[in-house]
Amino acid sequence: MSAHLARFCSLIVMVFLLALWLPQLHGMIFDYRFGKTQLLYSPVIKKFIYKELVGEGHQFIYRDQDGKDYSQREFEMLIPFIYYKNMEIWGKMPLEIDAQRFDKAAIKAERLVLELKPVELKGHSPRIQLFPLLESNPGRARLSFPENIVRPGKDLSFINSDENKLDDELTETFTNVLTDKGFQFPVLDTFGRVSILKAFDAGYFLIDSNHDLFHLLKRDGQAKVERIALPDTFKIRHISVAENKSRQFLAIVLDEAGRLYLMRYGSYDLVPLALPDYDPDSMELKIIFNPLYRTAIYSDQQTVHAVVMDRDFNRVDSYERKMAMANIRPSDRVWQIATPFSLPLHDGNTRYLSLMPRFHGWLGLIGNALCLAVAFAILKKRAISLREAVFDLLLVALTGLYGLIAILMLPLQKAYNPGGGRDDLAASEAALSS
Amino acid sequence: MIKSIFLKEWLKLKRVWLLVLLLNLCCMAYLLIVIRHQFQIEHSEMIWYWSFELRRLLYDEIKYIPLLTGLVIAIAQYLPEMINHRFRLSLHLPLQAHLQVLIWIGFGALMGGVIALIDMASLYLIIKGWFPTEAAASALLTAAPWFLAGWVSYFGATLVMVEPHVPQRLVYLLMSLAFLALLYLEKGYQEYDHALPVMILLALLMAPAIILPVHRYRHRS
Repeated sequence: MSAHLARFCSLIVMVFLLALWLPQLHGMIFDYRFGKTQLLYSPVIKKFIYKELVGEGHQFIYRDQDGKDYSQREFEMLIPFIYYKNMEIWGKMPLEIDAQRFDKAAIKAERLVLELKPVELKGHSPRIQLFPLLESNPGRARLSFPENIVRPGKDLSFINSDENKLDDELTETFTNVLTDKGFQFPVLDTFGRVSILKAFDAGYFLIDSNHDLFHLLKRDGQAKVERIALPDTFKIRHISVAENKSRQFLAIVLDEAGRLYLMRYGSYDLVPLALPDYDPDSMELKIIFNPLYRTAIYSDQQTVHAVVMDRDFNRVDSYERKMAMANIRPSDRVWQIATPFSLPLHDGNTRYLSLMPRFHGWLGLIGNALCLAVAFAILKKRAISLREAVFDLLLVALTGLYGLIAILMLPLQKAYNPGGGRDDLAASEAALSS
Repeated sequence: MIKSIFLKEWLKLKRVWLLVLLLNLCCMAYLLIVIRHQFQIEHSEMIWYWSFELRRLLYDEIKYIPLLTGLVIAIAQYLPEMINHRFRLSLHLPLQAHLQVLIWIGFGALMGGVIALIDMASLYLIIKGWFPTEAAASALLTAAPWFLAGWVSYFGATLVMVEPHVPQRLVYLLMSLAFLALLYLEKGYQEYDHALPVMILLALLMAPAIILPVHRYRHRS
């Protein structure tokens, strides 16, 4: 093992750590709370309106899709179903829109927000596959966690949390009910909302080995299973269960093709949503209900999209906008030139730490060329031949600033020969192996 | 010769290693008491809910123990060598220097690894005592970066101690600290599942890297 190779090992570790920590440091110094643009549909002017932070401090703009600016109060009055409490304070209730009158109770009855975030999807977050199956008919005001937990697998096992032991009786009972309903074990996927802070408990949706969908509830201690008919080619990727007071819709359903549906409460009917350019792996989705419209708003880190639909989910209008947070600021541009890539660790769409490099495009090549020139100059000053420094130069050419810092921190000419004079590594290495 | 080096390293390390092993066992015993206590004062189903859904880590009391273990083993192994330049004598054994270095660090890493294996087995059994198998397996995956920190701290401390020049010593110190900081970023369980193989590879690269400061130590003026 040569000392050269040992140095290269250190350099690789250093470059990796620099590519990881320097972007974090850059972010800590230059990041600002721009956040995402708040895009909504105004039922008053029938236009999309948005609120956006465009500069440091409180430089908010309140604007419609045609570029007309509003004050904060005017903006809120354009979306009165959201700010109905302010409307009440300002004496604007009941509302009158499109010759219809809406009082507080009517607004509250229709208000609903359903959400789906990339981090919820399978493969985006680690999840221990154990789920408490709550009693759906608790006979009291609040839901509570049971003392046993479900392990969906080759059967539907129940494990008692007090004893940490399998409950054979419950396991057999629930497994048999599912089998009788035509469920083919093993369970491929389980979807539900684990919480007791919800309006009611809707149990879990289970996918069997034939990709068929079943709805499982525990009602009065007994298993209640419904088989949900799906088209033959329909394969479910994710179900985001929403147990809310309105009981209009039970879940957002995402299929393997990336199409979205709303599942109606009770009938399990799927209502397709036509959302152009929606990417479930990178976009957060919100569906806002009010007495007149349903608005789907979805965004990644660059663009926010909105599709407004009527009460029957027919498209009324749509709009998209590049958000202010996506604008490249001077510090970002300098960083993109200075370094060829970053290892961002967190991308916001997953809980997993990621080491996937984010390349800075051709701009990074400028920085690489500059760093390479500096490396050449240093080598020349130290009278090191190009042949000896080929790995260093290659490292700088590929990793730019990171490589340059690494070779400056651990320079090539630092070894000492046995005679005590300075020499390059190759010479002293020969001495080492002698 | 290799056997003799192993024997020398064992004689040098054994007391400290046994002490560190005892410390680790005490920490695992403490973890056992902490988790048992949790289950005595809280409802079991709530603790399972915190653990699986809210991603609370009940075993993070042990997260810095492997780091400390690696550090102590490195100090015990190399500090006596650094006093009065004894290390120079060791480097004159009739064996290729780089092979010698690899045997030293291999032995130290192995000693740390044995303690880590005992800790991992203990962690698995403790968690399995109160949680289903899935949770015990998840605890091992979650704690894996902490155990890797044991090796990183061992290799890092060795680099810092053996390096004869102060500027490079600082570089190695910074590098080790930056690597260690990377292994404690978790907010819930198994967040390192995708990144861990790369991190293990990088940690292993720190082992041969020790040849360079040893080389410089031998040939310094």
